[in-house]
Amino acid sequence: MTDASRPLGEDPSDRVEIPHIFAAIDAILRHPRRIMYQLNQSTGSRLILSMTMAAVVCSLIYGVVAGTFSGGSQLWIAPVKIALGLMISALICLPSLYIFTCLSGSKARLTEICGLLAGLLLLMTILLIGFAPVAWIFSQSTSSLAWMGTLHLGFWFIATIFGLRFLEAGFSYSQARSHAGFYTWVIIFLLVAVQMTTALRPILGKSDTFLPKDKKFFAVYWGDCLSKSIDGPPAREHD
Amino acid sequence: MHAPPEIKKPHPRELATLLRGEVEEIRAWSERQDVRRLALHIAVIVAGAGCYGAAMGWWRSPQQALFTAIKFPLIMLLTALGNSLINGMLALVLGLNIPFRQSFSAIIMSFAIVAAILGGFSPLIAFMVWNAPDLITHASAGGAYSFILLAHVSAIALAGTTGNARLFQLLERLGGNRKVAQKVLFAWLAGNFFLGSQLSWIMRPFVGSPGLPVEFLRATAFKGNFYETVLGMLTHLFNH
Repeated sequence: MTDASRPLGEDPSDRVEIPHIFAAIDAILRHPRRIMYQLNQSTGSRLILSMTMAAVVCSLIYGVVAGTFSGGSQLWIAPVKIALGLMISALICLPSLYIFTCLSGSKARLTEICGLLAGLLLLMTILLIGFAPVAWIFSQSTSSLAWMGTLHLGFWFIATIFGLRFLEAGFSYSQARSHAGFYTWVIIFLLVAVQMTTALRPILGKSDTFLPKDKKFFAVYWGDCLSKSIDGPPAREHD
Repeated sequence: MHAPPEIKKPHPRELATLLRGEVEEIRAWSERQDVRRLALHIAVIVAGAGCYGAAMGWWRSPQQALFTAIKFPLIMLLTALGNSLINGMLALVLGLNIPFRQSFSAIIMSFAIVAAILGGFSPLIAFMVWNAPDLITHASAGGAYSFILLAHVSAIALAGTTGNARLFQLLERLGGNRKVAQKVLFAWLAGNFFLGSQLSWIMRPFVGSPGLPVEFLRATAFKGNFYETVLGMLTHLFNH
């Protein structure tokens, strides 16, 4: 993905400016080193804001596609929950990412860490947009909540892997002595994100309330969904 | 020969230097008396440990969150202060020839590292508490309670180990002798554990039993001590 042996900025393409959101989207896909280099420049804060806004918009779009499974009010509830859940998960995990980065000996400043995290979210949500047509086709041709939930989780997981590759590449350029802290943080981030989907349920199904009335660990909730789909009729039922 | 690092004015960005364990710079700070830097480190302890304490106490109630946010940093600061004299003396008799204020600032720096790490984990703990069943209405919230307890143990263990590792690196650089640094660290740890345990006992509860009211201190705070209670439990255990 990136050549960590060459310092950032050495390649002339690293130094090309990123003036707007579309340039940021292009850069994160084709020239990730450009993003990492520009985060260290005076326009870094503007780039972080662009990437974050783009990630929010992309997650809202994907959320609409996810909401087409149940339709009705889920067409606005699902995008709101997906966008909110993603941003809140990132905010919850940001302080621990900074801590682990520093403990690893990295020289990255807090602004750079925020930028790399924004880059992770942008790449993740852009890839989800890429999966959106596939997700829509399946949501129109199946009524199994468990199947659709698994499909969306699978797409999310693949998109997250690529986002984490970007984050790790940025981490590599920051003179970290070890990646152990980074890998620990990855596990924490994945657990938080997955638990967030349970905390904000239902995202695909319907409910009388915006948030669930009871609290569950995600593994317990998935087990319940699986049992319902095996025992009961598959339906776009209430959660 | 390395030139001594330039001493800059204290700034919150120095937290990264502490966490990275840049020993030469930290050594330069500890050798120079700077009240502003000490104040900055104390502020980090108050903020970081306070946030963690709030997340910890929130599971019981918002009021308990406030109480624990006050008590957690207080325990760290009172432990450092209460042991400052003996820690300074122990350093000298064990072969680390540093003034008392340097012993105190070294311990405060290690506590600042611990507090910063705990502060970084506080949003995660708060998220876990938010997802856990209510402690009052689900007094036997067995699985969730165990999970949260494990998370606390892991966070505090990581923070404590890192803080002490950085302290050891500093002591080794100050004394120039690994064995002396080990003895001093062990002595300080023993003393801080001894006093810290008792202060924690006095300052309980931190989460609080659902069957008892939310209080800043229990009525029996100053009656009995941690070690008497542990001894009593062990006696009871072996007699039955």
